[in-house]
Amino acid sequence: MRSLCLILIAIFLAAASPSGATEPARPDKKDRCPVCGMFVAPYPDWIATIVFKDGSQLFFDGAKDLFRYYYSLPNENDTRTRDTIGKIYLTDYYSTRLLPVEQVFLILGSDVYGPMGHELIPVAGEEAAKTFAKDHKGQKIITFEQLTPQLIPVD
Amino acid sequence: MISGKLKILEHALLSMGRRKQKNFAIIAVYTLTVATLASILFLTQSLRTEARNVLLDAPDLVVQRLAAGRHDLIPNHYAEKIGQLPGVGNVTPRIWGYYYDSLKKVNFTLMGIGPKERDLQLFSGELPKTAKQCALGNGIAKAYGVELGDSLVLVDSQNRTLLYEITGLFDHQSNLLTNDLILLTEPELRRFFNLPADRATDLAVQVYNQREIATLAKKIKYELPDTRPVGKTEILHTYDTVFNWRSGIMLTVFVSALIAFCILAWDKATGISAEEKREIGILKAIGWDTTDVLMLKFWEGLAVSLSSFLLGSSIAYLHIYFYGASVLTPVIQGWSVLFPEFQLTPAIDLYQIFVLAILTIVPYIACTVIPSWKSAITDPDSVMRS
Repeated sequence: MRSLCLILIAIFLAAASPSGATEPARPDKKDRCPVCGMFVAPYPDWIATIVFKDGSQLFFDGAKDLFRYYYSLPNENDTRTRDTIGKIYLTDYYSTRLLPVEQVFLILGSDVYGPMGHELIPVAGEEAAKTFAKDHKGQKIITFEQLTPQLIPVD
Repeated sequence: MISGKLKILEHALLSMGRRKQKNFAIIAVYTLTVATLASILFLTQSLRTEARNVLLDAPDLVVQRLAAGRHDLIPNHYAEKIGQLPGVGNVTPRIWGYYYDSLKKVNFTLMGIGPKERDLQLFSGELPKTAKQCALGNGIAKAYGVELGDSLVLVDSQNRTLLYEITGLFDHQSNLLTNDLILLTEPELRRFFNLPADRATDLAVQVYNQREIATLAKKIKYELPDTRPVGKTEILHTYDTVFNWRSGIMLTVFVSALIAFCILAWDKATGISAEEKREIGILKAIGWDTTDVLMLKFWEGLAVSLSSFLLGSSIAYLHIYFYGASVLTPVIQGWSVLFPEFQLTPAIDLYQIFVLAILTIVPYIACTVIPSWKSAITDPDSVMRS
């Protein structure tokens, strides 16, 4: 009986841990970006997501739209504040994997356009960020802490 | 209103029945033309789709080394250098080459597989594990009449005759890719071709972000100037060009057929016989409107052209997908001596069908309606007397 319990717990943990700790859920076909209204799933290389503390999740088609939403909170459609946000994930340009926003550098003014035009390009690692800025005419490398609403590209 | 239109349609079909021979001849030629054109369209479209599907699994970037403008073996340490670039996943050195069998007069592709081979679908048996084993494509097995467990005789670069036990066979579904393929273990293939251990034929590079392929290709070319990086999109583009070019050539050849058909259709449809003129005159005399006569001729034209179009497209479909495009394959397949016998997956572009329909149906209806309109607007009395 006890061993059965242990097995059950082990199964439960195994099922719970990958979704909780490592990577957030991927969007399904019907998820839309709350800023521009576009479907998110066709742009797997650009997905950005906010996971709220209550477990709910929003998907964006690019870091730019995510940060716009982030700075607009609480807005007329969403009364939640920024304190209710659990974690923010952005898609690393080079590995196309979702990484926590603290782990990436944001490159401004590059010649790489996302689905919504000019973008902040998330790149993991300082060395890679510098390489990216050199290859794609990036003008500024910043971290999430250094980001202000004024720095977000307009179009 | 609708029943009146249906009456006109009925009359149209009956009057066509009275001129069986003429209409039958037109339908036959018309069908043949549509079948030819649709065959070309279907075949190119499915070859293009097939190539695209095949290339889905192709490496994102292939890096070759050039020496004096020609392909040369690439040093393995290039792989490490490329692997350090940001955005690059796995870099796999590949070993492969061509083998000409003078007895059967065919070319094979020989490929080496490393110890960490991937799972292969469409494969029966096992991948070669020892130097004395090999796996074959369907075409080679057929050419030699061998089966799983038999032996294959190859002559290596030192002119030694070697026996390989066949441990695996590719299914015929993967023919387009594997028809002329022989797999050996990598060390054995190096020995077979007498290749140095520190070099490979080319490098297969995995790139995570497809947007970055062009930049990486530029970077690799910059850092290793004696290489030639080839992107997946470039290969796709080349295939597209090749198929467009080939179908273009066929189309030019068949344009003459199309023009001949147009002349025939014009002649048959416009040359209203005296009898038909009289018929129009009588119809008008018994109280038909000009619009009714035009409607009648429209239905006639539509019946002929639509049935020919549907019949022609169906014949083309059967020809391409059930009889393996037997008439067109010699033209469109290329360069290899051992042809893959492949079953094409139906891939139909509705846009192309639509264009073909517009190009064949509309002119024909115009050809039939306009001359009848001319006789329909003249006075019935004079039409009947003339």
